[in-house]
Amino acid sequence: MLYCISVLAQYIIAGVGDVSVDPSSPVPIFRQIAGYVRRAVAAGVYRPGEMIPSLRAMALELTVNPNTVQRAYEELEREGLIHARKGRGMFVTTHGATFARDKSEEAVLAAFEQGILAGQDANMPGERIRACFEQAWKHTRLETKTDRTRQT
Amino acid sequence: MNDSTPFAVETAGLTKLYGDKAAVEDLCLQIPVGSTFGFIGPNGAGKSTTIKMLMGMVRRSSGTAMVLGHDAANRAEAVKHRVGYVPELHYIYRWMRVGEAVAFCRALYPTWNDGVCRELINLFDLDVNKKVKHLSKGMVAKLALLLAIAHEPELLILDEPTSGLDPLIREEFLDGVLRTICERSQTVLFSSHTLSDVQRLADTVGIINEGRLISHCSTDELITGTKRIRAVLHDGCTPGESPDGTVWQRFQRREWLLTVRGFSQNTLAFLKEKYPVDNIEVMDLGLEDVFKDVIRGRRASA
Repeated sequence: MLYCISVLAQYIIAGVGDVSVDPSSPVPIFRQIAGYVRRAVAAGVYRPGEMIPSLRAMALELTVNPNTVQRAYEELEREGLIHARKGRGMFVTTHGATFARDKSEEAVLAAFEQGILAGQDANMPGERIRACFEQAWKHTRLETKTDRTRQT
Repeated sequence: MNDSTPFAVETAGLTKLYGDKAAVEDLCLQIPVGSTFGFIGPNGAGKSTTIKMLMGMVRRSSGTAMVLGHDAANRAEAVKHRVGYVPELHYIYRWMRVGEAVAFCRALYPTWNDGVCRELINLFDLDVNKKVKHLSKGMVAKLALLLAIAHEPELLILDEPTSGLDPLIREEFLDGVLRTICERSQTVLFSSHTLSDVQRLADTVGIINEGRLISHCSTDELITGTKRIRAVLHDGCTPGESPDGTVWQRFQRREWLLTVRGFSQNTLAFLKEKYPVDNIEVMDLGLEDVFKDVIRGRRASA
């Protein structure tokens, strides 16, 4: 359940966020990079037809191996979010932003499913699992609100 | 000359005995050209001995070790020019000025690149007029890296390069290494205890324990493929047979903790079928936990 909340928090609370990776996180670095680009595309930091940072620029910015960045870009290419233009770099596809938002939805869905399964494993009835969701919803919304007030 | 080998480093059955004790035993390692290999293991596991055998500084007892297609034991000059090495203990003459140390190394390498050298002096903020003995530990480490990469080697070998450095110097140091990885598709082998650095830089990881290589795979595969499972067993039940790939386990009260490599749904199916479980949970692990569990598991079973 905790895992579920932390994954959700990543998607709900985090905006586009900093470009930085957390090497101590159990989420592999290439996934963290792919997640960052996805959020940035969904939020319109990079628009369809625009170029995303090169492997080298991204690797130096994050201090990670360029092969790791490449692995992230390959994943995004498979999802149809970006495509390569020979000798020029990686560009956001026409439907890139839509794909990015769909993918975020998928991740949210998967996180909820995890939570529901955790509840079922603990023999909780459906309404109690739903109550947990409501509670988590209120909790995270409260947290985001206080975060924002603190920032302003 | 055989320069077309796909591996920058290739060893088979590499063994080093000190008396009748093996420091390195039957080590088979293949590091493809262009990859960055992180070499991790507890103190005294054999990392430095392996590196010294690759550098031809320690004579092997048996097996083979090829570096850039040549036998490492021959220490051919042509190969030495193509390798950059930062040892655990820096060997730069302490009485020299930084500029003199640079000029000294420059004369040794026909492929020395003055442009790269200047760029690194700026990047690392090194003062060429300062004496080496007056440099801080971090500055000496950066100078050692500069001297190891300014001749644009094809293979860079680093023995615990960031140990004892503060976080800012470490970042600069890694940045320097990364630049050379990015500019040329250089092969890097580095040993480290700083697992976050390994996770950042290495695309493949080898774990060595008591002289033996016990894991060698891609960093991502190691992290995504290894999970911790927490199963709560029914009263009176104790664990027997554990699922395939279990590297470490502990049973306390009703709680059975297992760390499993090559985790899949079959792992869970196995547990659920064999044992009456009340609750089962799967957790992700970072490189540090994976490493600790792999080593702890070895020690427990030994």
